Amino acid sequence: MSLVEGASLALLIAGAAFFFAGTVGLLRFPDVYTRLHALAKADNLGLGLVVLGLLLRAPGWATGIKLVLIWLLALLASATVGFLIARRARRHGIAPWRAGDRE
Amino acid sequence: MKLTLATVRAVLWRSALFAVLWWALTDGRPDSWGVGSVSVAFATTVSIYLLPPVNTYVSRIGLLRFLVFFIVQSLRGGAQVAGFALRPRMGLRPGFHEIDLRLPEGIGRVLLANTLSLLPGTLSVELQGNRLCLHVLDERAPTETEVRAAESRLADLLGLTLHTTG
Repeated sequence: MSLVEGASLALLIAGAAFFFAGTVGLLRFPDVYTRLHALAKADNLGLGLVVLGLLLRAPGWATGIKLVLIWLLALLASATVGFLIARRARRHGIAPWRAGDRE
Repeated sequence: MKLTLATVRAVLWRSALFAVLWWALTDGRPDSWGVGSVSVAFATTVSIYLLPPVNTYVSRIGLLRFLVFFIVQSLRGGAQVAGFALRPRMGLRPGFHEIDLRLPEGIGRVLLANTLSLLPGTLSVELQGNRLCLHVLDERAPTETEVRAAESRLADLLGLTLHTTG
């Protein structure tokens, strides 16, 4: 296994680990706002690492640009959708979970 | 729309960008450029109307510094959320945090709101005028300092001046 393949593998595994942590957060976090944090951050970092790992294996520039484009679109979508869901929840008067409430 | 230098410059840059996108999406197939050139022209026209060019330059050093900042903060943000999620007692101390932005009206504020959702511990919830409501994962964290740092980086990037708030 070459150095590039090894680095690619390490990045892919790290990306998967962040996806896993984000999913655990989505399941464990107590309310809609904290769950959005888990989705927006851990998954974006996970996707970023997976994209980096795949870039090292990309057969050409066209594929590389497509991969980066996927990450940028996912970032944009995730930030926008997270904002819209949180705003809607707050306008509906959904109070955030506070430390001391039951988890 | 007046044909200014800024417009010409924007048309050239944006059509080049869309052409590269088309090339990437079609894997550089030469027979796709019939449809491709029409699409690039159309995309450029629409983009000029939806996001009119402005006379400011995006600073290259500003862009580089913003990217480094964004990548470092994304790593911190992901690690923080992963830490909370995987700890047996999560130790979250969430709450709302309101803050008055110093950025002028427009694309800068929207970009900041979106950026903050991807940075450690903050999630944009509402943007009304210059008032941004955030949801924070940990009320004890120095949210104000983090937001101000992101704000300054964005202002550098877009060549905007920050208002001082009282």
